[in-house]
Amino acid sequence: MAASLADLRPGGRARVVAVADAGSGGLTLRLLEMGFVPGTVVTLIKRAPFADPLEFQVRGCHVSLRAAEASCVRTEPA
Amino acid sequence: MSAAPAVAELRVALAGNPNVGKTSLFNELTGSRHKVGNYAGVTVETREGAVAARWQPTRSVTVVDLPGTYSLTPVSEDEAVAFRCLHGDEGPPPDLIVLVVDAANLARNLYLAVQLCELGRPLVLALNMMDVAAAAGVPVDAAALAGALGVPVLPTVARTGEGIAGLVAEICRFGQVPWDMAEVRGRLLGTPMPAGLGALPPARARWLVAAQASETLGLTGATADERAALAGVDAGELRALASSLVIGRYAEVDRVLAQIGHRGGERAPAMDRSARIDRVLTHRVWGLLIFLVVMALLFQSIFAWAEPLMGVIEAGIAWLSGQVKAGLGPGLFTDLLSEGVIAGVGNVLVFVPQIALLFLFIGLLEDTGYMARAAFLIDRLMARVGLHGKAFVPLLSGFACAIPAILGTRTISSFRDRLVTIMMIPFMSCSARLPVYVLLISALFDGEARVGPFTQASVVLLAMYVLSTASALAVGAIYKRTLLRSPTPALVLELPPYRLPRVRNTLLQVYDRTADFVRDAGTVILAMTVVLWALLSFPRPPEAVPAGDPVEVVAAVGSPIEHSLGGRFGKLIEPALTPMGQDFRMGVAIVGSFAAREVFVSTLGLVYGIEADDEDNQPLRQALREAKAADGRPRYSPLSGLALMVFFVYACQCMSTLAVVRRETRSWRWPLLMFVSMTALAYAMAVAVFQVGRLLGY
Repeated sequence: MAASLADLRPGGRARVVAVADAGSGGLTLRLLEMGFVPGTVVTLIKRAPFADPLEFQVRGCHVSLRAAEASCVRTEPA
Repeated sequence: MSAAPAVAELRVALAGNPNVGKTSLFNELTGSRHKVGNYAGVTVETREGAVAARWQPTRSVTVVDLPGTYSLTPVSEDEAVAFRCLHGDEGPPPDLIVLVVDAANLARNLYLAVQLCELGRPLVLALNMMDVAAAAGVPVDAAALAGALGVPVLPTVARTGEGIAGLVAEICRFGQVPWDMAEVRGRLLGTPMPAGLGALPPARARWLVAAQASETLGLTGATADERAALAGVDAGELRALASSLVIGRYAEVDRVLAQIGHRGGERAPAMDRSARIDRVLTHRVWGLLIFLVVMALLFQSIFAWAEPLMGVIEAGIAWLSGQVKAGLGPGLFTDLLSEGVIAGVGNVLVFVPQIALLFLFIGLLEDTGYMARAAFLIDRLMARVGLHGKAFVPLLSGFACAIPAILGTRTISSFRDRLVTIMMIPFMSCSARLPVYVLLISALFDGEARVGPFTQASVVLLAMYVLSTASALAVGAIYKRTLLRSPTPALVLELPPYRLPRVRNTLLQVYDRTADFVRDAGTVILAMTVVLWALLSFPRPPEAVPAGDPVEVVAAVGSPIEHSLGGRFGKLIEPALTPMGQDFRMGVAIVGSFAAREVFVSTLGLVYGIEADDEDNQPLRQALREAKAADGRPRYSPLSGLALMVFFVYACQCMSTLAVVRRETRSWRWPLLMFVSMTALAYAMAVAVFQVGRLLGY
C-alpha cells in the first residue's frame, strides 16, 4: 500500500502526491481546499490524546484530520 | 469604463476565512451598528450595516458580513449562502466584494481570493493582521501583491482600526476608476467545462461541478436544466474535474506568492507561539485535565452562576404579577394577565441568563482559538456516535438546560449533524428535572437506606443521569443510522493561532443571539403559556369552594384544577397511567408540567391543595408518603416513583424546547417528531420499569 499522511510520526514530513478518491467526493475536495494539494510538504505536529485525530502543518496553518481522513492523502518522502 | 454617479448607494460584501479578523473589521466599519439577517430555510446568520460616519465615506455604503469560509465550494450551508449572496441569488448582488485576508497566512488565504476573482465582480483585498505578519517575520508588500493578483490590496489592522480609512476611501472610489477583472479571469478560467454547462457563467458552472462532486447539489438551488446537464457527465470525470479546479487555483496562489517573493512557504511562523501553548493545552495528560476544568467552568456557569440572575427575573415577574393582582382585584382578566401573559413573559426571560452566559463562553472560547482544541481533544469520543467534536459543548450544556444548548448547536456546520445533536439534547438530564427527582426520591425512598458506602437516594439520582446520558448517545447513534443517515462528518478542522479575545465582538454576538431568542422563540413560548394556562383553568369548578383547610377541602371535593380541561385529560388518561404505577393526580401534574418540568412540583401541590415550590416541598413530600389508595395501601411506592422518574428522563416535557427547535429547524416537523417520539419512549420505559419491578416483587 502506498504511503499516506496517516503513516507519519510526530515531527515527520512528507510531500503530497494525490488525494485518493475517498468514497466521498466532498472529503476529497475539502482536503484539497484546505491545502493538501499535490507537491505540498506536510508535517505531522502531534496526535491527540486518544491517538486520533492528528494535527498537521500545511501551507502555513495547523489543520487537524482524523487518521481515516489522513490516510486518503497519499504521500512520498519529502 | 464610464464613471457612475457618485451618489449611488453602494453594496459591499465582506468575505474571508474564519479567524482572520473579519468580524472585527465589520464591527469597526459599521461602528457595531447592524441588523442580523437570516436566509430563508437556513440558520446561517449574516449581518448588515452602514459604514460609520467616522470613516468619512463619500457616499452611502452598506456592508454585508458573509459567513467565514475557506472556499465557496458548498461543503455546508455557510459556503452555499456566501456564494448565493455574491452571485445575486439572495437579494441584490453586491457591487463590490471586500475579501479579508490574514497577511500572516497567505498560502492558504489566497485560495479564496482566486476563487472570488473567478466571479468577475470587483474585488478589493483587505490585507489584515499586517502587524502579526511583520512580527512573525513574513511581512507582505501590499503593492506587489496587488500587482501580482491584479486587484487593489489595502493593508489593515482591524484590531486597532489602522488602514480602515484607506479601505473605505478605496471602496468609495468604486465606479470612478476602471475596475476591470477581465484579465484576471482570462488567466483563471481556462479549464473547459463539460458540454451542457458551457452556456452558464463560468463561476456558476464551476460551483455546480464542485457541488455535484461533493454531493451537496441540494444546497445550491440548481435549476432543473443545470441538474440535467450535470447528470449527463460521468461521475468519475466530474470528480477529477472538480479536483483539478482546486489544484489549478492553488497553482495560481503559488504563482502569486513566487512573484511577490513571499517567504512563508511550508512553515507556519504565525503559529510558533501557539504551538508552544499547545504543548500544554493539547498534551496527553495536561491537555485533558485543562479541558475538563474548562468544561466544568462552562457547565458551572450555566448551571449555577445563572441561578441568581434567574432568581432576580423570577422575583421581578412574581412582583409584577402581584402588583397586577392587587391593582385589578380578583377576576378572570387578572388571572389571564398574571398567570398567562406575565408568567409567559417570565418563562421567556428566565432563559436569558443561561443563553447569554453560554454564548459568552462559546464566543470567548472560539475567539481565543480554544474551541478548536476542545474539538480536537474530544473528537475521538464524539466520532463514535458519528458526530463532530464540535457537538460536545452543546451536548454538555444540555445537562444545564436544553434551550441554550440547542441554540449552541449553531457552531456545527452540517445541517444533518446539527439536527442529530438537537434531537439528542433534550435527553440530557437538564436542571429542571432535578426538582422532580428530588421530590420523588425524598418522598418515596428510604433516606437511611444505603448501597455500599452511598445513600440509596444518591445512587438513584446518579442512575437517572447515567440513564439520560446513555439514552442521548444511543438516540444520536440511531438517528445517524436511520432518519438522518449521513457519514460521520469529516473533521478537517483548522487549529487557529491563539489570540486574545475581543470582548466587544463577543458581547455583540451574545446580544444578537439572545435578542433573537426573545423575539422569535419567545413569542411561541408566550403563546403556549397562555394556552396552557387556559387549559388548566377552564372550565372553572361548578360552585364556590367551601371554606376550611385547603388540604381537607381538596380531599373532600377535589381541587379546582381537576375541573379544568387539563385536569379532565389527566383523569381521562388514568387507565393508561396505571400500568406505569401512577394515578390521575400524577396525570394532572404531568399535563401541567408540559409548560416546564419543574412546574410538576407546584401542579402536584395544587392537586393536593398544598402550596409547594422547589425549595420547600416538605408538606407535599409528607402528603405523597401518606397518600393511600382506595384499598388502603400506599398510593405511591419507591417503584412507582422510579417509574415516574424514568418517565421524566425521557419525556419532552418542555414547550420552550419545542419552540426553540422550531426556530432552529424552521419547521414544526422536527419539534413534533421530538415530542411524539420522546413521549412514546417515556411511556414505554416507565411502563417497562414498573411492570418488570412488579414481576421482581417490588
